[in-house]
Amino acid sequence: MIAPRWRKVLRDVLERPGRSALAVLALSAGVFEIGALLYKYAVLQPVLTTMYEKTRPASATLSVDAMSDALLDSVRQVPGVADAEVRPVVMARAQTGPDEWTPVIVNVIRDFDHQRIDTFAPQSGAWPPAPGQVLLERSALSVAKVKIGDSLRVRMPGGEERSLLVAGTVHAAGLPPAWMDHFIPAFVSWGSVLRASDDAIASVEEPSQVRIVVSDHPLEEGYIREVADSVKSVLERNDRTVTRVTVPTPGRHPHADQMDAFLYLLGAFGILSFILSAVLVASMIHALLSEQVRQVGIMKALGATTRQVAGIYLGQVALLAAVALAIGIPLGLVVGRAYAQFSASILNADVTSAPFPVWVLIAEVAAGIAVPLLVALGPVLRASRITIHEALSGATAPRPFGTRRFERWLAGQVWLPRPFLLSLRTTFAKRARLALTVVLLALGGACFMSAMNVSAAWDRAVRDDFSHRRYDLTVFLRERQPISRIEALVERDPDVVHVEFWPGGNPYLIGERGVAGQQVALVGPDARTRLLELPVSQGRWLSPTDSIGAVINQGVVMRNASLGVGRDVSLRLQGRTVSLPIIGVAKELTPMPVVYAAQPAVYAALGEDGTSTKAARIVTRGHDDASQREAARRLERAFAEEGIEVAGLQRTSDARQSILDHLVIIYAVLGFASMIVVFVGAIGLTSSLLLNVVQRTREIGVLGAIGATPATISRHVWLEGVLIGVLSWMLANLVAAPISAGLEAAVGGIFFKSPLPFSMSPAASALWLGLVVVLGSLSSFYPAWRAARLPIRQALTHA
Amino acid sequence: MITLRDVTKTYDTPAGPFTALRAIDLDVRPGEFVAVVGRSGSGKSTLLNMLAGIDRPSAGSVAVGGASLKELSHDRLAQWRGRTVGVVFQFFQLLPTLTALENVLLPMDFCGVIPASQRRARALELLKRVDVPEQADKLPAALSGGQQQRVAIARALANDPPLIVADEPTGNLDSATSEAIFRLFGELASQGKTVVLVTHEREAVSGAMRTVTLVDGRVAS
Repeated sequence: MIAPRWRKVLRDVLERPGRSALAVLALSAGVFEIGALLYKYAVLQPVLTTMYEKTRPASATLSVDAMSDALLDSVRQVPGVADAEVRPVVMARAQTGPDEWTPVIVNVIRDFDHQRIDTFAPQSGAWPPAPGQVLLERSALSVAKVKIGDSLRVRMPGGEERSLLVAGTVHAAGLPPAWMDHFIPAFVSWGSVLRASDDAIASVEEPSQVRIVVSDHPLEEGYIREVADSVKSVLERNDRTVTRVTVPTPGRHPHADQMDAFLYLLGAFGILSFILSAVLVASMIHALLSEQVRQVGIMKALGATTRQVAGIYLGQVALLAAVALAIGIPLGLVVGRAYAQFSASILNADVTSAPFPVWVLIAEVAAGIAVPLLVALGPVLRASRITIHEALSGATAPRPFGTRRFERWLAGQVWLPRPFLLSLRTTFAKRARLALTVVLLALGGACFMSAMNVSAAWDRAVRDDFSHRRYDLTVFLRERQPISRIEALVERDPDVVHVEFWPGGNPYLIGERGVAGQQVALVGPDARTRLLELPVSQGRWLSPTDSIGAVINQGVVMRNASLGVGRDVSLRLQGRTVSLPIIGVAKELTPMPVVYAAQPAVYAALGEDGTSTKAARIVTRGHDDASQREAARRLERAFAEEGIEVAGLQRTSDARQSILDHLVIIYAVLGFASMIVVFVGAIGLTSSLLLNVVQRTREIGVLGAIGATPATISRHVWLEGVLIGVLSWMLANLVAAPISAGLEAAVGGIFFKSPLPFSMSPAASALWLGLVVVLGSLSSFYPAWRAARLPIRQALTHA
Repeated sequence: MITLRDVTKTYDTPAGPFTALRAIDLDVRPGEFVAVVGRSGSGKSTLLNMLAGIDRPSAGSVAVGGASLKELSHDRLAQWRGRTVGVVFQFFQLLPTLTALENVLLPMDFCGVIPASQRRARALELLKRVDVPEQADKLPAALSGGQQQRVAIARALANDPPLIVADEPTGNLDSATSEAIFRLFGELASQGKTVVLVTHEREAVSGAMRTVTLVDGRVAS
């Protein structure tokens, strides 16, 4: 038999179904968000770690012009090298539309079944591919616009075109998804028709990648760089040219930082909404206890101890929390799984076979019960400690309106319309409850506005950055061509209005210790150009009078913090060291390090005379996407007809759009998180209005008795809801500023390695004002309906 | 059974200190049925609160059944009250979400004096004793005022306390029901319970063994 006090717990919960439902909803929202996050983390994290480790990722990759098995053996003998593998790589382009070509990196694999480093697994179709076949990374089918069984037309270096049968897909877990980086990873066999050489195994006279795995300290980037440097020396001593050395962050998936950051942001929002919902429940319990003061007194008069009384009300909280768990846990698991799958797709991972994380369930149950109990403990203990005399004599009756200065001031505002005045006074009658409701809703609004502000800041930053690059197309040529020839060819196009040729290269940046490490881009824009005018945070931009000066971007500063105006930036290029005095530090969105130098200095560094080029920056008549696309197609055709091989053709609008596309993910993440907080805020508002109606039942009866119609009474409650909403909007605007600044700094840091410019969108504020009025109206619907249908007789006799 | 010595109770009110009881001395023997009478504001309910341990005196001492109440902590006082005192209120004060039977079971649940296996039978027996056995499974809202007060008396008897205190127990009842309730208190006294009743009803005064009259917080007679 259940003890009467526990029956009371159950019946008290059921007696107020509306309020109990709101408490359960608020708690469910918190449990749901925490559950979704924990589940996603628990499923994705181990999969990411094991999946990435299973590919045996290369510690470093060196791009060389040619390789041989004998030389590979020498590389394996270098101290610190545990293993090494060579893969010929063909940097080609695949046709993805009429006169549209997308970069494809073709990896030539010697033995598909015995891969050693950066491994990949068969996904579907053929394995290994026949000489006329190609396997694509599974995420590349959409980028290549093909399906298995289709033909993929590949334009090789040199201009030769081959058609390959797409025979299957592979899963290369160490690679980011192709749709994100806009290139096609492809895999062909040693005997592929794409290869210039035949089956010669001993010698690979074609560009290749040497992948190494270090034997010791696999997570120390400095050590890896030292070993890579030793390997590079060995290769160079054997007359090989090393064009690039790549050392990824050891032990980290290429996109793991982004996912960690998203998890951090969502975690912060999740914890916030969970705490808010718990605080809301505490306030509901507080309101419940204030109604039950007399019952507390009676129970004490019957012999109940403080602990027993507290147990009854904590039991109510635990019951509500248990129901919330029953709703929130399954929802959280479903959404958590979907979110894990979504995140996995960004990371090119699979979570379908991940085991169910039992600890998440345990943690959810523990937090879902413990946190509401903890936040309710204060009000419950306060209420339980009340003396019988206080409880039964009404010593805790609410303070009458008008005893505080603000209330007296409010009472004097008789110029306001009477119904509005009544709503206003009612709103401010319960100031603690009003404050809690306003704060809850304001936090939701602030999160919502912050999500929009981050989007606005991102959009503004990207558009602002691209506004300094006033060219529409960049053509990269495979081989150097006379500038006069390219200029004549390009200017024949009716849509081309201007073209410039800037020299450039990819030297190594010499770091603080004098060691060449990271590769940077070196660009020599025309000193009189209008196509590139970057804003500077230090010093100045290049001028026509500069002959040796350089402007570095913050990507360079990040890699060598000692660099700044007045210092020299030292670059290692073609075996020589070039030092250029820094005259400015440019503000750029890209985290990639770029050195912009005076054109004569760049020509000198590259050993060029300025008559030939490998790149052209083109301005078209119409700057829109359609005209850029059309001009690009015509130029592709024109270059092909002239027999000039294009290595790449980039539309500026494409580059801008691909950065803007990341916004979708950011907005989805922040929007989802803020909606939960808004939801909790709306429940808080409904609960507050409902409590006001319950506690003012007699007053509502009086209003009805003196002639107020149900419509008047419900309008009064609605006005109260809207007033609270507008108050919360004011506070939300203040709170949104620091939250937005924090999020903009965090998001900018994740993607661009520097904070986004602070942005507060007036549109976001206006939209939230509109939404909060709608939300206030929706939240007041049930309380207003309930107030309007209270029978006057019953209301007047309400205790 | 009850000994009050020099009991004074002063409340702080917005209008200044208000003394409800002034140096009260009172002795009540076991099994005695005492009616406390007086005008409104004379200190009747305050006196009852002192006896039941519901409130503490500002000065003086209260001893009930040999226990000095001022020496008991808040929780010990609650436990003592549950076992020693049965309280009956003017407005019945049944818990609205519990049935009549559950209301009677509640003090047994809190105090644990009656073994769990005997509680239900005892509660039903008490409801039978106060003539409302058929109302056992009804919620208070479904009972008349008289029925609610009978349930409240049954609840006061739940832990078989030696002392029953009642504050205007018939204040909200019609005269016929009041008479029956007073008879019930008389029977309890005759069965050995000490009953202290605050009332303004003549029937109660006539049925009591002794009447204590309060005037302005002092015992007048």
